[in-house]
Amino acid sequence: MAVQPAPPSRTESVGPASAGGMGTPTAGTPVGQAPGAGSNQNLNQIVLEYLSKKGYSRTEAMLRRESGSIAFDATGQPVTFDDKFKGRRWHEAYSVVKTWVDSILDIYKPELSRILWPLFVHCFIETIADCYPGEGRFFFTECRKPFDDEHSDDLRALSNVQEPEHVQQNDIAQLYRTNKYRLTLSKMGFATLIEFLETKEGEGGKSINFLINNHLDIRTVDRAAIGGVRGLQKLMEEKQGDEQAPAEDEGIHGHHPGSANLNPDATGALHRLQLAPMPMEIDLMDDVKAELNHEDSSNPPRPGRSTLVEQFEQRIKVEPSDDTAPSRDSIPFPPSTARDVAMEVQKVKENRDRFRIEGKTGGVGPGVSVTMITFHNTFDSVNCVEFSNDNILAAVGTAESYIRVWSLDNHALASPQDPPGFQPSSSRRLVGHSGPVYALSFSPSAAVPAPPTNGHTDHQSSSDSHPRYMLSCSADTTIRLWSLDTWTNLVVYRSHNSPVWDVRFCPHGHYFASSSADRTARLWSTPQIAPLRIFAGHDSDVETVAWHPNGAYIFTGAGVGDKTVRMWSIAQGTQARIFTGHAGNVTAIACAPNGHVVASADDKGVIILWDLRTGRLVKRMRGHGPGGIWSLGWSVESTVLVSGGADCSVRVWDVQPSKDTQAKVNGENGAAAKVDGPAVNGGAAASKVGKVKGREQSTADMISDFKTKKSPVYTARFTNMNLVVAGGAYLP
Amino acid sequence: MSVWNPENVTDVAESIGIASLNRDVVEHLARDVEYRMSQVLNEALKFMRHGKRTTLTTQDVSQALRLLDVEPLYGYESTRPLRFGEASIGPGQPLFYVEDEEVEFEKLINAPLPKVPREMSYTAHWLAVEGVQPSIPQNPLTDPRSAELAAKGSSANSTLAAVSGNDNIAVKPLVKHILSKELQLYFERICGAILDESNGEYRSAAFASLRTDTGLHQLIPYFIQFVADKVTHNLKSIFVLTQTMQLLAALLDNQSLFLAPYVPGIVPSILTCLIGKHLGNPALDGATTHFALRDYSASLLSKTARQYGPSSSTLKPRIARSCLKHFLDSHKPFGTHYGAVLGLTMIAGAQGVRTLILPNLKAYDLHLQEGMKDDSGKREQAEYVVQAILRALQTLQEDAVMGMSSNGHPAGEALRERLVGAVGQVVGGRVFESGREGLIGAVLERDPVV
Repeated sequence: MAVQPAPPSRTESVGPASAGGMGTPTAGTPVGQAPGAGSNQNLNQIVLEYLSKKGYSRTEAMLRRESGSIAFDATGQPVTFDDKFKGRRWHEAYSVVKTWVDSILDIYKPELSRILWPLFVHCFIETIADCYPGEGRFFFTECRKPFDDEHSDDLRALSNVQEPEHVQQNDIAQLYRTNKYRLTLSKMGFATLIEFLETKEGEGGKSINFLINNHLDIRTVDRAAIGGVRGLQKLMEEKQGDEQAPAEDEGIHGHHPGSANLNPDATGALHRLQLAPMPMEIDLMDDVKAELNHEDSSNPPRPGRSTLVEQFEQRIKVEPSDDTAPSRDSIPFPPSTARDVAMEVQKVKENRDRFRIEGKTGGVGPGVSVTMITFHNTFDSVNCVEFSNDNILAAVGTAESYIRVWSLDNHALASPQDPPGFQPSSSRRLVGHSGPVYALSFSPSAAVPAPPTNGHTDHQSSSDSHPRYMLSCSADTTIRLWSLDTWTNLVVYRSHNSPVWDVRFCPHGHYFASSSADRTARLWSTPQIAPLRIFAGHDSDVETVAWHPNGAYIFTGAGVGDKTVRMWSIAQGTQARIFTGHAGNVTAIACAPNGHVVASADDKGVIILWDLRTGRLVKRMRGHGPGGIWSLGWSVESTVLVSGGADCSVRVWDVQPSKDTQAKVNGENGAAAKVDGPAVNGGAAASKVGKVKGREQSTADMISDFKTKKSPVYTARFTNMNLVVAGGAYLP
Repeated sequence: MSVWNPENVTDVAESIGIASLNRDVVEHLARDVEYRMSQVLNEALKFMRHGKRTTLTTQDVSQALRLLDVEPLYGYESTRPLRFGEASIGPGQPLFYVEDEEVEFEKLINAPLPKVPREMSYTAHWLAVEGVQPSIPQNPLTDPRSAELAAKGSSANSTLAAVSGNDNIAVKPLVKHILSKELQLYFERICGAILDESNGEYRSAAFASLRTDTGLHQLIPYFIQFVADKVTHNLKSIFVLTQTMQLLAALLDNQSLFLAPYVPGIVPSILTCLIGKHLGNPALDGATTHFALRDYSASLLSKTARQYGPSSSTLKPRIARSCLKHFLDSHKPFGTHYGAVLGLTMIAGAQGVRTLILPNLKAYDLHLQEGMKDDSGKREQAEYVVQAILRALQTLQEDAVMGMSSNGHPAGEALRERLVGAVGQVVGGRVFESGREGLIGAVLERDPVV
């Protein structure tokens, strides 16, 4: 039998020790005659007799009057609020607050309604901890309705907590009990709340006050003064849009918005970030320049276009002065090779020749082309789809523990280890894991086109720039490194002690990051079998991981209970930013190529953009149906975001933080739909379809929405030439 | 009050020899069982989510048990959703069990092996081109209007039903594509200009514009439609055919256009001009003018194949197949054969000539001889074919492995015999007459002895 938890502290409890003992009967059964039940009355009698004997008549009268006003129940107990309701006392207290919040002035309603969720959780936990499972369950089913949308995961985790020892063991319950839930209220709102609780002291106000004091961390701000996102007007607007989303400083972490400093007394100053691209090695730069010069002289650009060298120099110069770049010393890389030179040259070429995507200008979104690669006959066993950067290889990880790789241009995937006479096909199977494979990542590569050859003699396109390695992670807690030359397993990385959910190669190769159900993310380098860094801090599974384009930071996103996106510095191994505001499990993160904005998506269908420097939320974008946004991708110019998810659609988003479009929600045939104009018919038409259900309303910044035919989209990303490649499995 | 029936706890207790259990203990245990189960399910849901699925499988549950450090349940692996049967063991006491199929042993052994599940494969298609979703079978219906109409049912109005694609008539909802006034005007002007027989300057200006203008992308499908239209309706007019081919050439030349998605639409038109049965009007244009058109189409086709062959793995084989088919069909006129030989040479190169043309020359010789005998114009046509074949054979010479030639071949009549035996009377004779050692060597090199 589990050790009985310490009885919950009760401020005003004078009743019998009903909180103790696990055999407590359920609702309605009378509490057994407490040992000293009658003695209280007897004592009064004795005192009164004593007073009259001594002649203290006025004191006697006073005592009689006072004791007369106290109601006594059948057993002679003075009745207080708590005892009158027994197991229902938290329920009653919560109901009192709930009815009050529902009927309060509209200006306070949006902010005060946010307090109901933590109160609900704590009232439920307290009821269970007081050993009233029946009442707890009744309260839960009765009052959970308003939170079904936003907190469905927490509700599911809490729904079966029935015993005090469950409270001790349940992650979510512990999270709420050991941390203070932070909430920001306006001064007036908070004052009215306290005032109300004081007037209702006897009807549960005290209990609520106790919860607020012990488990909530309420900050008060002067809304009229601060304005902006937390301003009064903003709150009113949100109320009209019926928005139910947590503010970015709400949650159980109590951090300053954006800052990773959890100390409540810390100043609001943020850790300075190094967001500029990683400087290039001097030798490499010289080599690349020489190569580009050679290229320019043999292939002079068409009139009106700049030479490759000019392009290259422009790219290096472009660095804005207010960003510092991480130094190469803090993050060592192996010396560059001819392969790196070839890849850099190709990058410069692509930079010149690419189809540029500008942001949404004049209300017309850019036309984006999407190639969809659909996998058939998968029987829902495909867990992830991944394309190499040069778009030559496609790989899927399956629930049957193997990985399958295809060559997209139908070349045979040969290996020097093939037995003689073996006919290599255009697909390979990599076997090694002993659990479902959850993520794959190719080492960086660039599509260097083969020199134009005549007709049939074309061979494997320039073999020195194709991806050499692939990483995979699996439920068997290992990460494996595969060679794409021999198609064999090279290294097994063991260190995580729970299933590994995600693994990503550093944009420059050599390093990689992984995230796991053991609540940590880890940094590795390919030649070492032990992790270099362990990033601990998330309160639940680290679901996904992503790299900053300069390779100096990683981003992690967590699931139920935590729901934060965190940014970690590779060099220091510390948290640099925390972003709170998601209502569901974070399913995908992607950092913009310009290094200033990060986008994260959750399984409620919301995409949030965060500004890294200020650590603040830029905007929320809605439109995807619930069920998970599996992938996010940025265009090379960081102007457009593409997302793909379980609702079988690929959507294109405008990322400009425009104020007027942000609050607006596409109305039925409303102005917002018209703004899209004729050029994006697909998008406008689709958003009209989405209007049938209130929940699928999309915000005006969705540029277009391309539905697939019964194929959930597992990955969607921009190539270096700004074409979107999406992958999914057809599930009839 | 709990979902899990406390009776079950009592049953289990009795089965392991605990006769009487306090009522409170039973209820407490039942609640605990329920909590543990929900805990397992919560973990299992995580695995489902990371498998990007919407159905929970037995696999997920065993993974969850493993994560919670509990021995997983073996023997419940299943790739299909489990069906549960219900049996009653008394009034109001349903018993649920997994419905397993009963299989007769004898039958199972004698039955043919079940089919192997189909191999996992992938297909690629355009989900969107420049922000517009093309209405191809791989994409779902996008037009909400047609979906609406379809939903209303076909019984209401047969024409409406036909419009919405509900009828058996395959009407695809058209994607709305909006062209600016300027582009429309441009399109009309260009089409008018290139078909203007009288004004050559006007024509060349139009082609120059097509070759260099950067903003034509939206018009590509219209131009291709225009070409297809003109080609099908103007087979008799060499002029129109030539002009349309030049239009395509100009589009292909334009560096700023991306034609890869449209190649399947372009190729049939070119093929028609290459291997069409009767091109032009022999009475008006003369009997041999169409050969020039075929030459031009062949070079256009080879350019297309060179440019877009790498991005479409089936393009070259498809073209080669249709060329070969027409070459082997002796009922087709010589013009078609000429085009087919040209096409094969251009598309497949020396390799193709060696494997596709050379082995068939002997059989073709019969037809060729017939043509050479005939005096009425047919001879002239056959001559063209012979020239084309010789040109094809020349590519062989360029590709041949040098060094082992010349020394093995006999001279004089014997050599002629061998050549005739290899490639037939007419062509063999010509090759012999040409007297070029390299060419002869290349032709006879057919079966190199290694």
